[in-house]
Amino acid sequence: MNSVEFKRLALSDPYSENEDFIRKSQKCAESKQLLRDIKNMDHELSKSLDVSVPESLLAKIQLNQLLDDEEIGRDSRKTIWRYSTAACLAIALFVGGFLFNNFFTSNHPIADDYQALLAGVVEHMDEVLVTPVWNPQRANQSANMHLANYDGAMKLKFLKNLQFSRLCPMGEYRGLHAGLDTPHGHVTFAYIKGDKVEDIIDAVYKGYTTRVKPLKNGNLVIVSKTKSGLDQADKQLDEALYWDL
Amino acid sequence: MSDSSNKNDSGQVNKSMMDKKRKYALLIEAHSQDLYKYALWLCKDKAMAEDVMQEAFLRAWKSLDSLREAKAAKGWLFTIFRREHARQFERKQFDYKDVEQMDTIADDSHLGYDDSPEAFALRNALSKLHKDYREPLEMQVLGGFSCDEIAAILDISSSAVMTRLFRARKKMRQSLGHESMPQLELVGE
Repeated sequence: MNSVEFKRLALSDPYSENEDFIRKSQKCAESKQLLRDIKNMDHELSKSLDVSVPESLLAKIQLNQLLDDEEIGRDSRKTIWRYSTAACLAIALFVGGFLFNNFFTSNHPIADDYQALLAGVVEHMDEVLVTPVWNPQRANQSANMHLANYDGAMKLKFLKNLQFSRLCPMGEYRGLHAGLDTPHGHVTFAYIKGDKVEDIIDAVYKGYTTRVKPLKNGNLVIVSKTKSGLDQADKQLDEALYWDL
Repeated sequence: MSDSSNKNDSGQVNKSMMDKKRKYALLIEAHSQDLYKYALWLCKDKAMAEDVMQEAFLRAWKSLDSLREAKAAKGWLFTIFRREHARQFERKQFDYKDVEQMDTIADDSHLGYDDSPEAFALRNALSKLHKDYREPLEMQVLGGFSCDEIAAILDISSSAVMTRLFRARKKMRQSLGHESMPQLELVGE
């Protein structure tokens, strides 16, 4: 390595581990001096830029890391919470949809299966205790509200002996469940949407006198302990139930 | 999943978090001094240097998992710092042109530097270098990086780094009077 090459390398990389470079710096006094000068300049330059790191800066750096750590923790908790909520909502929607489709819709064909309809109403009537509403005004308001929710076109004229009404699941069906107080005893009736029976069907079921008759978008089921009670209720309902064309 | 496996999992998570925190603490301990020196020189402003340092270390913490070798830690940290500095510099729009155009740097002893005339002359000579020459020299002198490491950080070839370092030192020496300036020769003389 000649002096020019040495100088070039000394100025560009005085810490080079090139063997020729090291040998030259040891053997040649001039090269040795040049390298010492350059290294000395680097050292002095570095020293001239020496500053101590403020302690507060180190503390701030550590603090930033801790705060970031906590933020990540909070974010991950939030993420878990969000996923849990989404999962719960999805399950609730699924279950809700399932229940609605299976229990709260009543489009099952019943033309040949009116017995299932009748059984549903009678069994529901036996199972569920009802609290009569003795104020006919309120009872009629409530019945009209339920009817409007269930079948918007159906209307009910004022019935002074109407005792209660409710939208209920009845066996496989869902419909308006209501009661009339007649001089011949309590009469239950239900309006259930779905396929209509072809004719009026009178039957005795579980000791009750029953009637299933087609009505607008579904069937009217009347259940009474006595035939006279059933007839009276049927007559009343025939006049009271109507619908918009 | 059983309780014991849950405990093992959380134990591993805690252990890896502990390792990460330890690694970070060592990183700060080992390199904060050099980085601050570099930061202050680059920013010429204590508050800005501290801001950039904090942001750079926070970024380093966030991506600490990508650091695999201890040997590469310093270069990795300086790269993060340089990027952060560029970002903040753009944001703050400090008027550095004026500083560069000045023949001498303003009194910078308030930054905590050695205020001897020799030290001032060295800093003055360094600041007068063109950015292309100054940058590799700062990295070698302040960061202790090799030519290959500087080449990787600046994304240029090693030979380009060596050329720039050669010119930077030569100009520094001329500026400090350690080497004669090239003289213009008059034709015919």
